Amino acid sequence: MPPANDSLPVDHLFRALSDPTRRAVVERLAVGEASVSELAASHSMALPSFVEHLRTLEGCGIVTSRKQGRVRTYSLAPDRLRQAEEWLGRQRLLWEGRLDRLDAYLLKLKEEKPE
Amino acid sequence: MSVIKIDPKLDLVLEREIDVPVELVWMAWTTPHHLKEWFVPKPWTISRCEIDLRPGGAFNTTMRSPEGEEFPSDGCFLEIVEHRRLVFTDALLPGFRPAAKPFFTGALLLEPQGHGTKYTALALHADEASRQNHAEMGFEEGWGTVASQMVDYIKAGKLSH
Repeated sequence: MPPANDSLPVDHLFRALSDPTRRAVVERLAVGEASVSELAASHSMALPSFVEHLRTLEGCGIVTSRKQGRVRTYSLAPDRLRQAEEWLGRQRLLWEGRLDRLDAYLLKLKEEKPE
Repeated sequence: MSVIKIDPKLDLVLEREIDVPVELVWMAWTTPHHLKEWFVPKPWTISRCEIDLRPGGAFNTTMRSPEGEEFPSDGCFLEIVEHRRLVFTDALLPGFRPAAKPFFTGALLLEPQGHGTKYTALALHADEASRQNHAEMGFEEGWGTVASQMVDYIKAGKLSH
């Protein structure tokens, strides 16, 4: 059985990726897993807001975390990002198809009405 | 006069006019059992607070998430002008020992305004990337929320205990 997150619409995914802080986390985790303290300065009252961003990413399955003792470590879950990539890929194919057809049609017009 | 020069490219500033007097703001910031009550946006809590109010003295806190995860942060005070200015950093540990991962210097500036206070909180950073990082983490929201929590705490009359 696929993980429950697979059934979430792509909306959640793009909403999660629409924030610069969350994208920065994704970029950082692409390099390798990291703890909260490694991802952000744990010295500021801004920390709870930041941890909320991590929860959003985890909630839609872009990242996963595991707790060892007192330290929670986050890592990227690439399968979920692949769904975004596939969605974009489908749009690209559609547009490329349209452009190819336009191209063919223009060539045809040219042949029918030689200068 | 303070030696601090604010650089908008490097620093973050929170300015508020609050209707509680400077003496009470000072007490809320410098007394561990009071600070614990407002220093992090709820439902997070402060599970540890050590304050040794002198230059080089400890300013150690631990933030605790609702899930029980703890984030300790150690630093020290740099400048203390009672009721006016409190400067601290995580770049130096208590006793002025350099810290492994310095991030910012904080400054609290207080000016009496009638019966209230002009409350300015500064976060000074080493570079634009750190400033950006701190802003995106949620500086405005986090520091603004705790300023409001502090005012509520003072107004509730909790400082007399």
